[in-house]
Amino acid sequence: MGRKAKTLGNVVNFLVAFSLLVYLSYALPRLMPGDFVTAMFASSHVTLSAQQEAEAKAYFQREEGFGLYLLRIVRFDWGWSYALFQPVLSLILQALPWTLVLAGGAHVLASVCGFVMGVEAAWRRGSRVDRALVGAMTMLEGVQEMAVGVALVAIFALHLHWFPTGGAETPYAEVSLEARLVDMAHHLVLPMATLVISYLPGNFLLARNSMVMVLGKEFILTARAKGLPEKRVRYAHAARNALLPVLTRFGLRLAFMVTGVVVVETMFSYPGLGTLLFNAIRSRDLPLVQGVVLFSSAVVLVVNVALEFVYTRVDPRTRHAP
Amino acid sequence: MHRKVTATLKGDKWFITGAAMGGLMALIALVGPYLVPYNPQEMSFQPFARPSWEHPLGVNDGGQDILSELVHGVRNSLSFGAMVGGLALILAVGVGLVASWYDGVVGKLLMSCADIFMAIPSVMILILVAALFQPSATVLALVLAGLSWPTTAKAVRAQALVLRDALHVRAAVQMGGSAWYIMTRHLVPETFPLYLVGFVAKARMAVFTEASLGFLGLFDPERKSLGEMIHYALRYYYMDTWWNWLFPAVLCLSVSIMAAGFMAISLERVLDPRLRSLWG
Repeated sequence: MGRKAKTLGNVVNFLVAFSLLVYLSYALPRLMPGDFVTAMFASSHVTLSAQQEAEAKAYFQREEGFGLYLLRIVRFDWGWSYALFQPVLSLILQALPWTLVLAGGAHVLASVCGFVMGVEAAWRRGSRVDRALVGAMTMLEGVQEMAVGVALVAIFALHLHWFPTGGAETPYAEVSLEARLVDMAHHLVLPMATLVISYLPGNFLLARNSMVMVLGKEFILTARAKGLPEKRVRYAHAARNALLPVLTRFGLRLAFMVTGVVVVETMFSYPGLGTLLFNAIRSRDLPLVQGVVLFSSAVVLVVNVALEFVYTRVDPRTRHAP
Repeated sequence: MHRKVTATLKGDKWFITGAAMGGLMALIALVGPYLVPYNPQEMSFQPFARPSWEHPLGVNDGGQDILSELVHGVRNSLSFGAMVGGLALILAVGVGLVASWYDGVVGKLLMSCADIFMAIPSVMILILVAALFQPSATVLALVLAGLSWPTTAKAVRAQALVLRDALHVRAAVQMGGSAWYIMTRHLVPETFPLYLVGFVAKARMAVFTEASLGFLGLFDPERKSLGEMIHYALRYYYMDTWWNWLFPAVLCLSVSIMAAGFMAISLERVLDPRLRSLWG
């Protein structure tokens, strides 16, 4: 199978996966026995007035075909949050920038650092540095985000008072833009460090394995025999090819990271999508839960599809293919 | 081959450490609940009581004995992990073997299914199901197992495709062995090493996920879980209860996940000949 056909196949897979999710978000609430509104709100923190209850019942019991539902999703008409009385989409869009900075930044940082460290460790395979790194990373791989976050908060926030324990910026502070950015970065350090430390080990081990495999290939021997400088062999010849498997995992690892982001945001009360989802679950705010679940799955799948195209560009073997 | 694997594993530092840690946690999960004197649900103690002879780890905000809570949390985490690991493995072996033996349309279809499942962020479906139906942990374990079989299924299929062309399997086909006979007599036992890796890796992922779901409060509140304990302990961070309440829960969780991680890594190294060159 050619690379192009494979890319197309993968894109189709992602589309099917997304349709499946949309369908589940449509079908699951309708599978529930009994009256949805009573079930959801009877035991929640939210009390509905009689009018709201009637409206909610009208909204959820309106028999909407899947086609109409799909149309609503595509037109970004995602309904209203019952706990916060705002459109779901606007809540999501308010939270999105924070999550993009935190999760996106952490994922890129963890991937880049993991890759460089993996390449360097593989180059020094069997040395003391390599053994120590592999050992440490294997240990760290077993520590959950929760545990990392607890340790970081205990040390750097509660004991040393270097960083705040939560939030994204100091509330009600009227300061210049620069001071505000510094404040935001200050708040970002601990949650981002938690995510980076939790996801670095996986990326490191992946990059190291991939690089060790490449180093055994014959073209590396050729590059050395040509008398190329070591750095050039290491990065232009070896790491360039070790990058490909790492890149394919980038998207899958993002899907894997979603859980961690929700936990870490909740822990640091960071105003992103994770906290939004957490609060929505706590108050049984179903339209919001649905919205966040759909939206974040869509983001993960879009990143995966985009990577498919990046991959074909980066792979030197396919660049010159017809 | 299998005997050699056992011998190699016995000499592998990572495996021994992992197995020891896992054994310890399993012991806590199996025996612990019978040793602790209190029911973890009993709320009749003085909230925030400091550790004492009666309550070795103190009492939590709701007046429950923390040690009993911890032991039951470990038991629930591990049983969730084992259940997901086992179910996912059974699914994976079934799908993998069928996809390799009927390597035409059926195989292609099953493998595209696997690709689709791999692309779905499984935690999102779990959250949706948990928020809507508030099901028991068993149902969530079933859902998670149903979403996490693809990676192992692919590995099993790849191995079985190689086996299918091996001489002894071809001989069995020539002698008129049915598909069922060959799968159960040849393919299942000969892909066995993969099952260990698959089970341990899935169980690890499940313990991880269980803690996150517990942390988010998606389980029945009656069911003790380490993630939920950590969530509540974090709320009272400032009260200097972290070392008797938060720390034990975090430690148990980390040790469980690490144990599975160590075993998975060492099993992979020992069983995958391609990887053997990696670890000089």
